[in-house]
Parts: sequence; C-alpha cells; structure tokens
Amino acid sequence: MLDRPLSPPPVEVIVAVTQALHCEARLLDNEDFDGWLAMLDEDICYRMELKSRRFRADRSPPLPVGPGVIFNEDLGRLKLRVDRLKSGFVWAEDPPNFIRRAISNVEVVARPAENEVRVHSVLIMHRNRIDGTTRVLTAARTDLWRGEGQAWLLVARDIVLDHSVLPDSNLNAFF
Amino acid sequence: MRFERIGREPDYSRYMDLKEGWLDRRIFSDADIYEEELYRIFARSWLFVAHESQIPKAGDFLTTHMGEDAVIVARQADGSIRVMLNSCPHRGNKVCFADAGNTRRFVCNYHGWAFDTAGDLKGMHEEYCYDDGDIDFKNHGLKNVAKVSSYKGLVFATFNGDAPSLEAWLGDFRWYLDMILDNEEGGTEFIGGCIKSVMSANWKFGVENFIGDAYHAGWTHDSGCRSMNDGMPFPPIDMENSYHASVNGHGWEFGTEGVGDLVLLGRPKVMDYYNKIRPKMAERLGEMRSKIFGSVASASIFPNVSFLPGISTFRQWQPKGPMQFELKTWVIVNKNMPDDIKEEVTKGVMQTFGPGGTFEMDDGENWENCTTVNRGVVTRHERLHYRCGIGRQIEHDTLPGIVYRGQYNDANQRGFYQRWLDMMTHDDFSKMPTRPEPRLGNVAETRDLPGLFAL
Ligand code: FES
Ligand SMILES: [Fe+2]
Repeated sequence: MLDRPLSPPPVEVIVAVTQALHCEARLLDNEDFDGWLAMLDEDICYRMELKSRRFRADRSPPLPVGPGVIFNEDLGRLKLRVDRLKSGFVWAEDPPNFIRRAISNVEVVARPAENEVRVHSVLIMHRNRIDGTTRVLTAARTDLWRGEGQAWLLVARDIVLDHSVLPDSNLNAFF
Repeated sequence: MRFERIGREPDYSRYMDLKEGWLDRRIFSDADIYEEELYRIFARSWLFVAHESQIPKAGDFLTTHMGEDAVIVARQADGSIRVMLNSCPHRGNKVCFADAGNTRRFVCNYHGWAFDTAGDLKGMHEEYCYDDGDIDFKNHGLKNVAKVSSYKGLVFATFNGDAPSLEAWLGDFRWYLDMILDNEEGGTEFIGGCIKSVMSANWKFGVENFIGDAYHAGWTHDSGCRSMNDGMPFPPIDMENSYHASVNGHGWEFGTEGVGDLVLLGRPKVMDYYNKIRPKMAERLGEMRSKIFGSVASASIFPNVSFLPGISTFRQWQPKGPMQFELKTWVIVNKNMPDDIKEEVTKGVMQTFGPGGTFEMDDGENWENCTTVNRGVVTRHERLHYRCGIGRQIEHDTLPGIVYRGQYNDANQRGFYQRWLDMMTHDDFSKMPTRPEPRLGNVAETRDLPGLFAL
C-alpha cells in the first residue's frame, strides 16, 4: 500500500483521529474492554516487535524467520486476552493495578485511501501495581485508522517499545 | 529468639533440611549468601552462554553474562567458539555494548584499545605513547574463560578450570535433554531474537518454578488456561503416570500423555507436526521418551536455565543482586521444521510464555512478592514448606535420575537445593557427590543406550 503524503492534513480528520486515540486510552484506563474492542476493525493487526542493540555499522543479515514479536494479534486473539482479564481468575490483577495512558505527538501523516489515515503517536504508560511498585513504559505507535460513517476504527497498530530490557515482569496491558 | 546475621563462611546446611522438607527464607534475599552464590555457584558451574545457531559464521558474536560477569561469545574463523570477559584490561570499561552482531574487532570506547574476536589485543589509539617494555600485547587481551563446550547445540562455558567435562556435568540428564535437543534429525536452533525483562525477584524462584512446580499451573494460570481452552480449567494431572526426575540439581517434571503442553501452546498445526514425526521420534529416542515429549512438562538445567519442552520457550535467569534477576527468553525449534511451523511455534510461544503471553503474565508478580515479603526481618526467620510428595520416591526401569511419582511434587526442587547446598559446601569439586549414581556412565549418545533405557 503506497502512502500519499498529506500536507496539510484536513483539520477535521486530525481532530477526529486525535479524539479517537484519547477515547481509546480512556476506555483502556477504565478497563472498559468491550468499549475498546468496539473501536477495532475486524481485520485488526496488532503487533509489537522486538528491538535489539546492534552496532550502527553492523550489516549482518536479519534473522531467518523475521524479528521476534511480543504481540502479533488478530481480533480473535485480542478478544481472548480480554476474556482472560474478565474471567475473574487473574489473581495478579485483583485488586486491580492502576494504569494511566498519556497519548501525545499525534501526527496524521498519510491517507492511503479516501477514508483511511496513517497516524503516528507516542504512548506513556504509568502502571501502579498491586504491590505498590510503579513502572513507566514508553512506546511509539504507527496506526492505520479507517473512517466508517461517524466512527473511526483501528485497522493496524505497530508498536515499538523503547526498552531493550523490559523494566517490568510482564506486559499485562494493551498499548 | 536470636536473629543472627550470616558471616562469610557459614554452615549452609543450617538453611535447609531436605529430608524433612524445609528451607530457610534467608537464602532468597540475604546479600552475603548471594555473594557466596556468585563465587561458589556461578563462578564454578558450567553456565549456558549461547545456542550455536545464534552465531553461525566467523565474526558473529553476542554478549551475555556468566553470573554477574559480562562476557562476549564469539565464533572464530576456525569454527570454534570463544568466551571472554567483556571488560577492557586497561581500565575495565565494557568493550562491547551491542547485544549481537558480526564484527572483526571490538574497540573499547575509553582509550581505543582494539581486540580481535578471539580477544587478543591488536592495537590502540596513539600506540606510540607506550615505550618498549610498557606493555606486553600477548598478556593484555580480553580474558578468556577456562573452558567452553557444546552439547547438541547448547554452548556452555565455565570459569572453573577444575570443572568436570560438560558431559559429566549434565550426566544422566542428557537422557532427558535429548528429548528437546535431538528429537528429530538436524537438531535445534534459536529463532527470532531474545526478549529481556527485569524482575525484582531472587533468581532461584524462577529456576525452581520450572524445575518442578507443576503444582502452581492449575491455580496461577487458571485464567490463561481458560482463555486458551474455551473456558476449560487446567486438565487434571495423572499422578500415577507422571514424574519428577532429578540429576545433579538439574530436573525435569513431566507427564507421559504426550500432548498437554502442545495443547497449551494453542497451535494445532504444531500439534499435527509433532504427531507426524512422533513415530520417528520413538525410533530415535525410544517409546518412553516419545510419549514424554509434548506432555505437560517443565525443566531446568542447574544453575539457571529453564525451558518448556513442547511449548519451546527457552530461558535463562541472570542474577542481578539478591533480589533481582534479568530474564532472557528465546524460542527453540527443530532446524528441520518447515518455515511455517517455525512461525507457528514462535507465535504460540509469544502468546503463551512471552512477556505479553497469557501464561507468563501470571508468574512474575508471584516471584517478586515471594522475594520481597520473605525479606521482612522477622518473616525471614520462618521456614518454607518443601515437603510435598516426600514419600513418593520410586525406582524406575526406564527413567534415570532420582525419580518421584506424581507431577505435583517438590522433589525436583529439593534436588535443586541439594545441589545448591553441595556447591555452597564443597571446596573441592572432585569431592562433590553425584546424585544419583549415574546409569549412563560413559555412553556418548543416549540414542545408543542399551535396550533397557531406550524402552
Ligand atoms: S579502558 Fe579500555 S581502552 Fe582504556
Ligand atoms: Fe507459571
């Protein structure tokens, strides 16, 4: 899919997509997972790839079966994760962790189709766990959003986590 | 009651009674005990450093740790592998900050001393400042470890010149290891990189969980299991036909039904693949091992490597202080698998036991809170219970090692802490007891074992 550059992007689109990103963060912070799932396109592709530290001059070939991925989820898999969280058997989340997401650097960069936009954003996730410890994670996201009538749906999200060593024991949260 | 602080040479047998089945909580947080572990266990054991497939070509390297010592693992032009301290002999700076890659030289950032991939000092910035006699290049390379050896793709190294051969170190555990390393022609490889995460927990909690703690799975992972299996809880364990086996502190707990872990992986194509090769596996490793492979199982290699055969996550618990470790995880697959099956395995591992996996997410906080809460000044003097299944030891015709019946058991954990105690206690490596007496003896290849074992 070839991206046509967008300059300047239409203001209504920027506003609508930014609102969608903020709304999504609020739904997740409030554990309204069904509300969040309703914002996803049925063909959602949700990925987080691994980063490793290499020398800038290192030209050795990439790994044979692609880089490792932490998340590579479709809608079914995301629903499964939500079902797990809602199952009432997730001891590590009971009492709940407090999670707050701040979204920033929203940049609508391209319009691959009439009703689609490519969007960069930055996520800062503040996670206060049941044992009182706090972890802060940051990530960059590149999304594809599609306008369907009044709503915007998330079609694809590529997440790049800014940590070569995860500073937490798990990634029990959506980014 | 007296709350004593531990001196430098305590009698470590005070911290456990494995015949009775208890441990002292101080071994999970005490700074002095931890320091001694670095000296007596990590500086003297064979430690996993790489899989051969991670550094296939000359000049390929990766960086890792042996205990808390940073090392470089590098493939040489002649195909051999060298392991050396990742610390410059000039002022000690770290020489290589990359995780992995390919290079001809490691050049230190501080004053530009340059080393080849064998660790030999080759030159430096402004070399003229050293007069004749100031420096002997031959003695100022990166310090190589005492021994490097491979077992079926896994590369181990040790700082201990007196360590027994790697084969002897692994001993009869090779019979079990071959189920993951040699279940198909062509051996194994790591694919897709390494995930690192840091946990505020003592390293032993990770190892002991994988060495024998099947017991936690049905409770801790209830939510993950139900979400992966249409709301069904963890399948009941067959206590008659499942086992713990312990060899020199290594341990493998397993069922014999052949499918449990493959079901948990949640990738039907992978299950089909193993079902297809299973008859061949039986010819190769014997009927028994072909039935163990794929069942609900977990294992650890002493001191700090663990894996789930069948689910294919492979990991190392790197100590970073008494109350912290860095967990490194990889995906291990059979080299001869078609690419789409390898891809399926990778997906399955990430979805189950990656840091965002439906099972992995339940574990970390338990280990972290076992560590921090055990440290309370009064709490630390209470004993922990390790007595589960203490009367269920059996002699088994086919299974080597110290074998206990019933997968829900603390037997392998007791075996692990027994080895821990042996290493903390014995100065002389040659006096260290072998537990149990080996059956395999000098058999080089467990596939060639007498019929008894191949059953
Ligand atoms: S510390 Fe490495 S060159 Fe000086
Ligand atoms: Fe677990």
